[in-house]
Amino acid sequence: MSEVGKRESFTVPIGPQHPALKEPEHFLISVDGEIVTDATVRLGYAHRGIEKAVESRTWVQSLYMLERICGICSHIHAMAYCLGVEQLAGVEVPPRAQAIRVLVAELERIHSHLLWFGVAAHEAGFDTLFMYTWRDREKVMDLLEGFSGNRVNYSVNVLGGVKFDIDDTQEIAIREAISFLEERTHHYLDVVTQDAMFLQRTRGIGVMTRSQAEVLGTVGPTARASNVYREIRVEAPYAAYDKYPVKIILDSRGDLEARFVVRLTELFESYRVILEILETLPDGDLTTRIPRRIKAGETVSRVEAPRGELFYFIKSNGSDTPERIRARTPTICNMMSVVKLLVGHQLADVPMILAGVDPCFSCNDRMVVLNRGRKMEQLFTWEALRQYGIDYYQRHSA
Amino acid sequence: MKTEEALSIARQLVEEWEFKTKTERPEPNRLDVALTTVDDLIPIVVGLRVIRLGYLAAITGLDLGPDEGDLEILYHFCTAAAVITLRIRIPRQDASVPSLTEIIPSAEAFERELSEMFGVEVVGLRNKMRLYLPEDLPEDVFPMRKDISDQEISQSVTLQEI
Amino acid sequence: MHQRNNYFQNLLSRMKTWSRINSPWVLHFNSGSCNGCDIEILAALTPRYDLERFGVKLKGSPRHADILLCTGGVTRQARDRLLRIYSQMHEPKFVVAIGACALTGGVFRDCYNILGGIEEVIPVDAYIPGCPPRPEAIIDGVVKLLSSLQAPAVSEGDQVVSIDETGAEVR
Repeated sequence: MSEVGKRESFTVPIGPQHPALKEPEHFLISVDGEIVTDATVRLGYAHRGIEKAVESRTWVQSLYMLERICGICSHIHAMAYCLGVEQLAGVEVPPRAQAIRVLVAELERIHSHLLWFGVAAHEAGFDTLFMYTWRDREKVMDLLEGFSGNRVNYSVNVLGGVKFDIDDTQEIAIREAISFLEERTHHYLDVVTQDAMFLQRTRGIGVMTRSQAEVLGTVGPTARASNVYREIRVEAPYAAYDKYPVKIILDSRGDLEARFVVRLTELFESYRVILEILETLPDGDLTTRIPRRIKAGETVSRVEAPRGELFYFIKSNGSDTPERIRARTPTICNMMSVVKLLVGHQLADVPMILAGVDPCFSCNDRMVVLNRGRKMEQLFTWEALRQYGIDYYQRHSA
Repeated sequence: MKTEEALSIARQLVEEWEFKTKTERPEPNRLDVALTTVDDLIPIVVGLRVIRLGYLAAITGLDLGPDEGDLEILYHFCTAAAVITLRIRIPRQDASVPSLTEIIPSAEAFERELSEMFGVEVVGLRNKMRLYLPEDLPEDVFPMRKDISDQEISQSVTLQEI
Repeated sequence: MHQRNNYFQNLLSRMKTWSRINSPWVLHFNSGSCNGCDIEILAALTPRYDLERFGVKLKGSPRHADILLCTGGVTRQARDRLLRIYSQMHEPKFVVAIGACALTGGVFRDCYNILGGIEEVIPVDAYIPGCPPRPEAIIDGVVKLLSSLQAPAVSEGDQVVSIDETGAEVR
């Protein structure tokens, strides 16, 4: 890669706004005609400095911060953290609490996959599908709200267990919702594997071979769609996953279609596990006592977030504030791999390939800088690039 | 591969290939390998790659504090439930490690973050652009070091009028 | 649940009133949030809440937007872009800060890369608290902002309205 940091070029902005003053662009893509020749990424847009902040907060305060690293997968972050701290402290969390943690984690996975599916559909121009999936997703939001009082950031975890219990009304509501969603998921799977326009944007696009996926360090459904056997719930079961095992969903094709199929098929496993937990929820307490000062030591806590492996390294110095918390999210692994993957693909496929790894989606303001060689640069807003992909495929559809 | 098997293979690799390391089992699924020289890092990583043991899951930087003086860099390789952590202590002044990107291209993100947060020079890393930190933060401010506080970091930047 | 439905019906009829007068176009900007508030804003556009049937459209460009919906505490990287977007909007323009982080920085208030709430950077006209506020609260906040602008007896100091998470107005 040539001198990436030093771009003195003539910039031609494309898209309705953002003249290129000191823009922290997110993607710097070099193209030769339509083909991507190089790509790199620059983040920091939502960088808040959490790893630094937790070093001056107590273990309990840190929980509330870490929950808010990501609004879409807040429970899994809190769970990874709590499991790690409980390991360090040497406390045993009651089985009922662990089962409830798993139940909420699976509900979170469902909401996250449906959210992603709608957003990915939107990226491809299928806005109706986006509306349908988000409407269906509301069922899960209702369940989470009924359980915890909040639709997002449900804050179920405490150090030592969980705050909320499941009662009969909730159980009935969960069963109803799951049965509805199961039917809808079958429908979505049909769309994804049979709809000609959808397949045009996904089949054979963005192929990542198994060895590429392994070498590039991909995790989660993105890796499993390239036949990489990587799933923390299966390989290193945590919380109650040893009692409620999950089947790994693999696909050997490695293209965008495979990534859709893997995530949708995973939903069925989530539905199954939730129903199983409801059948055999163990009795007992919801929390166990945990000291204010955590024993000195280091631990690693790995869990399977909806996007892939979430890696927490936690170090305690024996006091009531953490010495170091390293929260390595799955998106950074997959972002790096997909950025390398873009090389050789068409510009029109970039939005879908990037959406395919389920990145933290919010930045509707992501900027893409296009380097067309001959010292010419174009600035794309994400919207413009997305539209570029949609228009391209409309022109080229069979 | 079962956890115990993976960890003992890794231990064998570092001990029998005569790397000057000290190995420890802090938890049943973890192997800590403390390197005494930074020159051993690349050969050990190559070794792990050659026998296809584990993927680079994360790189963690630690500031051992002003008393100890050193920084410690942890390279976590995971395979199934097993976590193999290569650890290397480096001095705060002129902190430097070799880059893994020639062997593991995706290490780029972790190394960029390590470099900007802890002030570690990663030798051989081609893309040295900041990953998370804003451009207007001074070059010599390393937020994750223990000798600077949140306030000091904020104060190091003067917000420009637009 | 029953109470919420009634309240929402009430809200819907109030919205129909002002939507005949005015159908604002909104721009959504994330200045450093965890996405929690963003997904609730997007949820407000989906069939259950369906903001669009009242003429509220989500636009991609500041030049076409009347209202800027902002989430997140402002990170250093986002500050310039936020200022630029605000300056590109035509008058009359209004800013709504959504979520605890957009109000004051939230739990991230003292973090080194967060400058604080949206009002540290641009003037804010309405604050919607919550972590995140639910879609009804977001819609209610936007409605309250617009009705406060339509009301003839409004004086300059009255532009700011505060709503709690249930949608009730807090003075």
